[in-house]
Formats: sequence, structure tokens, C-alpha cells
Amino acid sequence: MFGGLRERLQAARARIGSSIQAAAAPPKEHGEAPGLPAQPLPSSATFADKVKTFVIDGELIITDRELADALSDLEMMLLESDVALSVTDAIIGHVKRDLVGRHRRIGQSVDTLVVGTLRAALLDVLGKGFDLSDYIRSHERPVKILFTGVNGTGKTTTVAKVGAFLKKQGFSVVIGAGDTYRAGAIEQINVHAERIGIKIIQHQQGADPSAVLFDAVQYAVSHKIDVVLADTAGRLHTKANLMNQLEKIRRVMKPDLIVYVDEAVAGNDAIVRAAEFDKTVGADAVVLTKADMDSRGGAAISIAHTIGKPLMFLGTGQAYDDIMPFSPHAVVEELLGDG
Amino acid sequence: MEQIDQREMLTLEHYLKEYGQQAEIFAGQLELLENGRMEALAAIEALQGLLQSGDGTVLLQIGGGASMRAQVLEPEKVLVNIGADVIVERSNKEAVEFLQDRVTEMAASEKKVAETLDRLRTQMNEIARRIEQGYQQAVQAERAAQPSSAPSDQDA
Repeated sequence: MFGGLRERLQAARARIGSSIQAAAAPPKEHGEAPGLPAQPLPSSATFADKVKTFVIDGELIITDRELADALSDLEMMLLESDVALSVTDAIIGHVKRDLVGRHRRIGQSVDTLVVGTLRAALLDVLGKGFDLSDYIRSHERPVKILFTGVNGTGKTTTVAKVGAFLKKQGFSVVIGAGDTYRAGAIEQINVHAERIGIKIIQHQQGADPSAVLFDAVQYAVSHKIDVVLADTAGRLHTKANLMNQLEKIRRVMKPDLIVYVDEAVAGNDAIVRAAEFDKTVGADAVVLTKADMDSRGGAAISIAHTIGKPLMFLGTGQAYDDIMPFSPHAVVEELLGDG
Repeated sequence: MEQIDQREMLTLEHYLKEYGQQAEIFAGQLELLENGRMEALAAIEALQGLLQSGDGTVLLQIGGGASMRAQVLEPEKVLVNIGADVIVERSNKEAVEFLQDRVTEMAASEKKVAETLDRLRTQMNEIARRIEQGYQQAVQAERAAQPSSAPSDQDA
């Protein structure tokens, strides 16, 4: 997953590291400074400050100029990985703030410094993720989750995968077959529900999806079910009538969470669409499917920062188990780790 | 031979349909990737050709099958969409290198999608085989249920 982005970030890590190393190679006679903590030095540090630090404390100050080329490379690498411009700017800004003007103790590993900075910058844009199990535990049941998104991104399969995930976590689940538009959609979700052993509420094809999902909620209330997963038909955000239908579903069903589903491989398009859906019907969290096919990782890195909504799950294959709760720390480890 | 009941046959048919839909989506994705790679390869060829052509004259397609001769003012400078809808100016050589990297990336993605598609098709073949087997069993069971001494024409 995100192999291309990983390669690029590893290259950026080496590039920034060698820039610091080349510009700040310590003179041998100073040796390591005795146990002083590295403190950021304001960018307004005067020449005298720098010399003082360099001579007295045996430390080096990393300057803007030394990093300029490496940061420019990092910027290009991120953009080439489809990381949104605003997110790229945020990462570069973070790295710059963190490194420029910083005292680097002689002997301190440059790589550790760079990895630490990149890690913090990525975690900053990735947000905190969204723990669905925690959310369900801390809210009144049934928790109603409405899935929205454009056509063909794997919404129905995601509903089934999330259902299987929640069932494994010990929650009782009912699925509302709210995609009454697409031919075969009800059949599809029916088969999924049967395979994972989850009750499904369905009407005929062409029925009002609001009515189906209302029934699903009523069923959950009367049977003390923990979670209602509401599937809906895929739609483009530009189709006003379909978006109005979604708005009606929202009014009738009163979901606790609206989850926007899109595919990671769509890159920047997924971000633009998510923002549009958020504007029209709202979105509380995002699921990105087909992350295993996405080498660039741009959408996964950018979506939380760009639309301000957390990434909840990543779909990583065809099986029901192929869904992983999005953990910013795990993703950053995968991107920057040595393994 | 393992017996397949009516209910299992129905489920298998649903699976087959669902896998078919998934396969269609992946096939579409594969086509998109392939088109993207071909486009990038054509762009590489055009950029390299422009440098070799000397005066930078190209045929500009204006639609309806009509083209005009046009001259590229700066064949050395190329505007490239590098991702995230960001367009940067690159030298011809840099643009070619960038596109070559993209081609490699897309080829790797194509390989992954093709592998997934292959897996899906294998599963579909297996399901189709099971359905066929169930159908044959049903036909045989029906034949066996018919009375063995059916009246012949001669008895009439």
C-alpha cells in the first residue's frame, strides 16, 4: 500500500538528511556537547548567536538556505504523489518550522532528526483518525450510519465489510438496503448480509430509499440492535435531484454519522468530491476503498486535512476482512519505517 | 460427487453476478490505466521528436479531422501536470523523465489490477463450474425420477 509515496518519502528523508549533513559537518575538535537538550532557535538568530552556539555549546544551527533545495524536492515529491497542494504546503511548513533555526547537537543522528520531523509533519496533517467502535460504545444505540458517495467506488461492499468488522467487535448490526436504484444492488447487499450473518431490511427495487432506511432504524430500535448501516445509491454530487434525495434520507433517518466512501486510486478527484459531498449533505468521516491498488497515497494523506473530516477505514482487498481502521501512526510508520 | 441444492445454486448465481460486476469495474480501471500509459508514451515520443525536428513544426488538430501546421515556440519548456492538479514548467528532458516514471508507475498499477482481475476470473470460473455441476445433477435427478418403463409407440 502507498509504495510509491513510501519510496518518495524515503528519498526525501535521505535528501534532507544529506543536506543537513553536508552543510553542518561538525569540526572534529569540538566533539559532542555535554547532554544539552536541543532547543529551537528563532529564525532571527544573529550571526553572533550562531557562532556562540557553535563554539561554546558544540551545536550547529540548521539554516533555511541549507534546506531550501531538499524542501523543494520534498514539495515536488509530495505533489507528484497527488498530495493536495494545501497539504503539501502544511507538511513543508511544518518541516521548515521544525528544522530551521534548530540547534543540532554534534553527534546527534541527522536521520533521527529528519524522521522525527517528517513523522510529526505527517501526523499533523493526517489527523487523529476515527475509532468507530469507541464512537458506538459512547453513543446511544442504535447508532445510525449513512454511507454516501459516487457510483462504482465500492460503497455496498464497504457496508458489508464494516458490518463484518463491527460484528467481530461484538456489536449487533442491521443493514438497510437503501440502494433501490441500481439493478441488482438489493440482491448484492442481500448476499453479503447472508454471508456475514447480518439481518437486512429491504424493499422492492425502485422503492423510496428513505422508507427503507426508516424501517431499518425502526427494526433496530424494536430489536435493540447496536448499529444500523444504511447503504445508498451512488450519485454524482452534480446531480441535484439525487442529492435532494440524499437530503431527504438524512431528514427521515437522522443519521448519527454520515460516511463518505470513495476510492483511494481516484487521488485528488476523491478529495474534491468529498469536499462537495460534505458541503451538500455533510460528512463526518471518510472511507477510502482500493487502497491496496493505490501506490501514490495522495488521497489518504490529504483528505483529513483538506476537508477537515477524519479518515475512518481503508479498504484493502476483496475479502470481508480486507478493511483496516485508519491509524495515522501505523500509516506513518509504514511510510517512514525502515522495514 | 458433492450434492448441490437449489438454495446453494441461487447463492452461487448471486456470487457469480457480484464477481462479474467487480470484474467489470477492475477491467474499466485497467483500461483507464492502459490509456493513461499509452498517452504518456505518446507524449514522450512527441517531446523527443520536437527536439529532433529542429524548427518545432507540428500538426495541430483543430477537430473534425482537420489539422494545421503550427510552430512550438519553446520546445525546451514543457508544462506538466505533476499531480494534485498542480502544473509546473519543466525542461523537455525533465518532462520526459517525469513521464517515464509515470509510465513505470502505471505499468506497476496495471500489473496489480490485472492480478486482481485474474483472481476474480478464476473464482468466477470455479463458481460457474459449480453451477454447471449443480445443473447436471438436477437434470440427472429429474431423469432418474421419471418412470423407467415409459409407454413406447409400439404399445399404443
